[in-house]
Amino acid sequence: MALFTFLNGWLFASMVNAMQMRVSSRSLIYNFFDSGWFWMGFFILFPLITMRLFAEEKKMGTIEGLLTAPVRTTEVLFGKYFAALLGFLVIVTPMYLFFFLFQAITGEKAAFQGGALWGAGLGIVLVGIFNVALGTLASALTANQLIAAMLTYVFAMLHYFLGFLHNFGVVPGSAWTGGMTYFSTTEHMHALSGGLIDSGPIIYYVSFSALLLAIAYHVLESRKWRV
Amino acid sequence: MLILTAPNGVEFNEMRAWLWMLRNWLRLHLDSSHSIRFYVTSLEQPKGFSCLMIEVKELTKRYAGRTAVDAISFEVGKGEVVGFLGPNGAGKSTTIRMLTCFLSASDGTAKIGGYDIYEDSIKVRRHLGYMPENVPLYPDMRVSEYLTFRAKVKGMRHREAKRAVSESMDICSLDEVDRKMIGTLSKGYKQRVGLADALVNKPDLLILDEPTNGLDPNQIRQARELIKRLGERHTILISTHILSEVEMTCGRVIIIDRGKIKASDTPQNLIHRLRKPGEVLLEMKGDASEAEKRLAVLDGVNEVKYLDKRSDWTSFSIATDPNIDVREDVAALMQSENWKIRELASRTASLEDAFIDLVEDKPRIGKGEERNGE
Repeated sequence: MALFTFLNGWLFASMVNAMQMRVSSRSLIYNFFDSGWFWMGFFILFPLITMRLFAEEKKMGTIEGLLTAPVRTTEVLFGKYFAALLGFLVIVTPMYLFFFLFQAITGEKAAFQGGALWGAGLGIVLVGIFNVALGTLASALTANQLIAAMLTYVFAMLHYFLGFLHNFGVVPGSAWTGGMTYFSTTEHMHALSGGLIDSGPIIYYVSFSALLLAIAYHVLESRKWRV
Repeated sequence: MLILTAPNGVEFNEMRAWLWMLRNWLRLHLDSSHSIRFYVTSLEQPKGFSCLMIEVKELTKRYAGRTAVDAISFEVGKGEVVGFLGPNGAGKSTTIRMLTCFLSASDGTAKIGGYDIYEDSIKVRRHLGYMPENVPLYPDMRVSEYLTFRAKVKGMRHREAKRAVSESMDICSLDEVDRKMIGTLSKGYKQRVGLADALVNKPDLLILDEPTNGLDPNQIRQARELIKRLGERHTILISTHILSEVEMTCGRVIIIDRGKIKASDTPQNLIHRLRKPGEVLLEMKGDASEAEKRLAVLDGVNEVKYLDKRSDWTSFSIATDPNIDVREDVAALMQSENWKIRELASRTASLEDAFIDLVEDKPRIGKGEERNGE
């Protein structure tokens, strides 16, 4: 958590530096969340948070005690999922203080707008909801934490890069571009850190997360009938 | 001790039910300083038993190409301590996992305390204390922390959980390690933590999968004492392949091999049913060759085998007909010839013999490694 905050703090500082040297038409928030560096560090979080959820229980056998206690599998699943989500939120919250800190120190009001800040915050939470669900599923699939972490990272990145596909050699405004934009985390973040909140991404992330958790549920239940 | 003999059928059931009510009444109205030991055991399990804790019917588990548990049926009455016995890979753990709702059966049904393991799985689990094989625990939790967590997972509120934890720590003598990390505990303590976990929700039924696995002889003895004590309050199903343990703790034994039940009876009956030829060991001083001839013609003696000779003392092994004791005759013979005896012992059949007779007589098909859940 400290490392994550430090890295992002560094990134934030260098971003401010860059903006001092060169006039940017975009806000600090936009630039911060548009940076590839931010996302690289950001996606490492998810495997680290979620890899232990079920993989370790499976490896140690404690899953047997857990699932033979009088609790439903859904309760176990949601308990672990929301705990991981909470952990994620706790880790990313300090990052938000940068903006306020920056404002307090410089007295600069124009660096960003409230709407953009909350929009970006919502974006981060949505991406968190989705990727923690992905990590939960990956952890339920295997008894090996490393494999769970790798699955999470690979699929999180894959999903992220899917968002760039709409840039490739296609006429703007075509069905392809439109469709791909729908999956694009970067596009969502552009809109949100510009302060534009659209219900589309919200529904997209939440419903996709629900689907991932439903799959995780069936993976956990499959132990019962698997031959 | 009170021994009541009842004919099979309804009368027996009624008698047993009344005795159980009496026992519960006594337990309610006398404080704990009175130690009442109240066992109601039947040598035979009558049909249509009314106070059953476990009721298994045709339970089957098939894995790809292999039937781990093959249509087994058995019953365990309330208050019984039953040993679930079988070689490794016989299907013990699979059966237990089906009973604890960890695995689904391919076929058949089972009821625990009257609740079906499919339809009322949560209720079944509420009435159940289960200690899985190898006692999986979270190594980075403290003992009391872990037990409190388990009590809460099992649906207890904070205060209730606290009380239950201190009680079960008391029963399992864990007080001195309550602040220790589970990972740093010895195997014996870990086992006790697992048992305390199984006990924490005050279950009617305890299912222990190989509870003394990997303990040293001292710890095994302690564990056995503990299980014996618990047997006064709980119905217990112990899976194990350690026979001496069963002989000492269990009122009844169910022997399972390759997914099928081979026997279900008291240890004494199993041994008795075996009708193994008897064997008497004799160590004597005197004319050995003459003694060998004279012994061979005694009533009931089949064969006299010379074992060895140490200074003046000669040892024989005397094989006899089943259930015939020739020791008196041997002693009389020795006395009449003025030969000295240093040892005269009859080696009785043990549960181990019964077990081997039931299980090992046919060659095993495949290795039949027990499949673990994951």
